[in-house]
Amino acid sequence: MKIKEANAGALTNFEVLGFLRSRGASKDPTRVIVPIAPSEFKVYDYLVESAACNQTKEHVKEFLERCKSYKLAKAEVLNIINLRPSALVEIDPIIEESEKRFGEQLEELVNLVVEVLPEPPTQKLPEPESNEVKEDTMDGKNMDEDKTETVTVEQIDKDQIEPNEDGEQIVVS
Amino acid sequence: MFYLSLIEHTLRLPPHILHLPVDEAIKSELETLFLDKVIAKLGLCISVYDIRSIKGGFIFPGDGASTYTVEFRLIVFRPFIGEIIVAKLKESDASGLRLSLGFFDDIYIPAHLLPTPSRFEAIPHTRNQGRWIWDFGDAEEAQSEEPRFVIDGSDPIKFRVDSVIYPSIPLEQPENSKPFAPMVITGTINYDGLGPVSWWEEAEMIQEDE
Repeated sequence: MKIKEANAGALTNFEVLGFLRSRGASKDPTRVIVPIAPSEFKVYDYLVESAACNQTKEHVKEFLERCKSYKLAKAEVLNIINLRPSALVEIDPIIEESEKRFGEQLEELVNLVVEVLPEPPTQKLPEPESNEVKEDTMDGKNMDEDKTETVTVEQIDKDQIEPNEDGEQIVVS
Repeated sequence: MFYLSLIEHTLRLPPHILHLPVDEAIKSELETLFLDKVIAKLGLCISVYDIRSIKGGFIFPGDGASTYTVEFRLIVFRPFIGEIIVAKLKESDASGLRLSLGFFDDIYIPAHLLPTPSRFEAIPHTRNQGRWIWDFGDAEEAQSEEPRFVIDGSDPIKFRVDSVIYPSIPLEQPENSKPFAPMVITGTINYDGLGPVSWWEEAEMIQEDE
């Protein structure tokens, strides 16, 4: 085996994701049919949760055009496209000597990123109320699964509506 | 994170797949050979990107298989030094953290590359496991019951790549040591904006200045 060119081009996460998608990778469970190896699926799973999953070619092209004026190094542009920093504190570790080179302009750059590149899939932390509700349903489901052999679906619904203190009705599918 | 690499390889196609069209057979052979394997100095091979040229097809005497010289491009995972990557916590012990990307697990953050000052709080009754806490701000606040800056794996961790090494294959290994890792990434989180994502979401709201 001979390595002809170890570095024939850097790829952004978005490009690798596009390549895997074009071969048929997707989130749903029909994974055995597509010609993609399990190890490639692991990469796909990682990329789909990163900031790259909603990006398109147009977004990336536009960003590259508009950030030319900032004279960023190639590695910095790559990092920014892969991570999509939405705050000053997020862009700080990406750019070297940010104060010397940018100072005020750094905020403009952050605004440019937020404007041009789409948001990553948001992973909101659950609020305390909905957390409790979820815990109730989880406990209810666990208890009922033991009884599922003898209990019908209607009875499971009734059992779970009762223990809820908030008075809300939980619909269990 | 990902690069394209151009490789030339002399590939032997076993006779049982010779009924397939040549490029499909070659692609599947290449995938079996390279996918999910680490090539020294190149990185972890993720995928075969495309096949540039196929030459040859000779059959050597005494061999039932045909041999092709294939030139193709691979997508390899090889982070550069200074790259910032988001990963999940896998293990945390006294010597530091271990992070995982799903497809790659050998990312270590040694204790000296954690934000200073940090301390380790071992979980009682477990051998070596525990969590790391960053003592930022007043000493009193840090000693209070629920310190603010804990690394406990509840959210992803941003780290900066410090080095990527490819240790050579050891000749002998003692029985209970960790399985050999052909590629090890060392990271640091000792900087603004690095570490668990939730640390910096709070920082924005409170508007702490450095």
